[in-house]
Amino acid sequence: MLLTIAWRNIWRNRRRSLIIMTSIVVGVAFAMLTDGLSIGMVQQMLDNQIGSHISHIQIHAKGFNDNQVIQNAIPDRQLVERALGETKGVQTWSRRVITFGLLSSALNSSGGLIVGVEPERESAVTSIAASVVEGSYLSGKPNEVVIGRRMAEKLGIGLGDKVVGMASALGGDVGSDLFRVVGMYQTVSSEFDKKHMFTSLSGMQDMLEMEQRVLEYAVIVDNIEDVDRIAKELRTTLGDGYEVLSYRDLMPMLVYMVDMYGQMMLVLYVVIGLAMIFGIINTMLMSVFERIQEFGVLMAIGMKNSAVFRMVMAEALLLSAMGTAAGMLAGVAGVLALGAVGIDLSLFAEGLNSFGVGAVIYPQLTASSILSVVVIIPLTALLGALYPALKATRLQPVTAIRYV
Amino acid sequence: MEVIRLEGVHKTYSDNGVPVHALRGIDLRIEKGAFVVIAGPSGSGKTTLLNVMGALDAPTQGRVFLESEDISLKSKDAIAAIRLEKLGFVFQAYNLIPVLTAMENVEFTMMLMGIDQQKRRERAMEVLGELDIEELANKRPNEMSGGQQQRVAVARAIVTNPSIILADEPTANLDSETGANLLDLMQRMNREHGLTFIFSSHDQQVIERARRLILLRDGMIEKDEILEP
Ligand SMILES: Nc1ncnc2c1ncn2[C@@H]1O[C@H](COP(=O)(O)OP(=O)(O)O)[C@@H](O)[C@H]1O
Ligand SMILES: [Mg+2]
Repeated sequence: MLLTIAWRNIWRNRRRSLIIMTSIVVGVAFAMLTDGLSIGMVQQMLDNQIGSHISHIQIHAKGFNDNQVIQNAIPDRQLVERALGETKGVQTWSRRVITFGLLSSALNSSGGLIVGVEPERESAVTSIAASVVEGSYLSGKPNEVVIGRRMAEKLGIGLGDKVVGMASALGGDVGSDLFRVVGMYQTVSSEFDKKHMFTSLSGMQDMLEMEQRVLEYAVIVDNIEDVDRIAKELRTTLGDGYEVLSYRDLMPMLVYMVDMYGQMMLVLYVVIGLAMIFGIINTMLMSVFERIQEFGVLMAIGMKNSAVFRMVMAEALLLSAMGTAAGMLAGVAGVLALGAVGIDLSLFAEGLNSFGVGAVIYPQLTASSILSVVVIIPLTALLGALYPALKATRLQPVTAIRYV
Repeated sequence: MEVIRLEGVHKTYSDNGVPVHALRGIDLRIEKGAFVVIAGPSGSGKTTLLNVMGALDAPTQGRVFLESEDISLKSKDAIAAIRLEKLGFVFQAYNLIPVLTAMENVEFTMMLMGIDQQKRRERAMEVLGELDIEELANKRPNEMSGGQQQRVAVARAIVTNPSIILADEPTANLDSETGANLLDLMQRMNREHGLTFIFSSHDQQVIERARRLILLRDGMIEKDEILEP
């Protein structure tokens, strides 16, 4: 019955209630969109890094990450490949040779990472094959190279042109080879595109005189939530001679950013909640002051202070719950709709690309955003109703009834 | 049997620092089933006396015994419980909760007592029927006349079978015919159910119905007489 009373009291001053609810709706919807957009953006950065090169888990010889030279090759390929085959949750993987080298055209030269890959395996792990914008991806033949369009511009070359690749070989001499540009790719990260070129694994192994050795295994897991577990299992299986790192270990800054955004959004919700507190205080105070005589009668006929308190709190809770629900509906609908089509930020694409974000951002909805809204907004409303509710309990029935 | 007893009750208000002696030494015993009118000119202390008897206001000095229990010593919540269970109130105006229907208003005190919905409904309907206002059951106060609202207020006051029903100038805002009807109703409840009513009024038609008339003047009892009709 207290809820019924609270509910009807809300509609007693329809306009005032609608105003406060609208402000909650707008606040909540705005916060959810901002949240969705921000999370979508950093998540996209992370996904792009994972998708274009990093993958979920990388396996190297121990010491490789501190000293990225081809001397630090994987000690035992069979061991690694067996482990990958036997670990549950591993979806696919690729072998790589990766080294710093120089690519020269007739006009110019450019340093970068030369990555030797097996085209078929690699296309299941990363999206470079799908990012080819001119020409085609590697076919598996030696001496093909796929480079970023940015690098091609810098080198002043086009499809079919020849370039010389150079890098230091295993023995310490400089290995070099002639490559033909078969494709140009473009990812959302211009920084990445300037630095990475891809060629066949066997060609690289020849050029660097490293026989069948590989430097890196890039692993994709079925479910990204399991990445830490799988990395740990691989670490145990492979033992001391190897370094098994998840994308979380490989991109600590980005992962940290994703986490930090989550926390920043929590702050955003709290700030919005606090902004709304004043509206709630005002609304509830007016509502209490308008009903002083009524409270007097209620107390006179035996309503306890605690019940009076609960009645005012229930009113605030209902108001904010309705506002939150409607705001969430709008927010979720907005995020889902924009998440499906994406928000086109082509205007700022230049700037975004250097951050590794595409021109189209897909806002994302996270469980923690929804939870934050559901908990924080009604909670702050209750906080705001505290003072008016206490005010109501402080009334003396006799003076309240006489109050005009 | 005595339902309420006042011993040496004083009530002094402070009006911006100036003491106002609203009650000065009231000694009073009221028996169960009484139909008492407290009369007196405006400002004589009628409302104050009713409030003290109704545990709405604490005396500055003296003691109040409700069914032999000293209520001046109780906590705020205990006093609220006493008002809920032992006392019924009919105020001059603004008695009803505007967002509730007549039925719900009558049910309200029973709800506070924790009586379940089904029983509440039945009992509320019974009382509305007895007061002949069933047709108001689903109306909100703003859809009722002043007289109808006061009848619902009486229904709410008697629904829990309280020891005393206190009514502070219940007819003050009603025309004389409506007022008379309301008094008829309360008189009937007094006769048929032995309910104890204590009124304050300076309305002659209320005073005429008194079976005991207490005349207040300057916060003191000037006259206290039993009138058998
Ligand atoms: N809350 C109060 N503060 C100060 N003075 C009061 C207060 N309530 C009543 N009084 C004074 O006490 C006296 C008695 O008032 P009241 O009991 O209302 O008389 P009645 O109901 O007979 O008109 C009056 O002089 C009135 O002004
Ligand atoms: Mg009075």
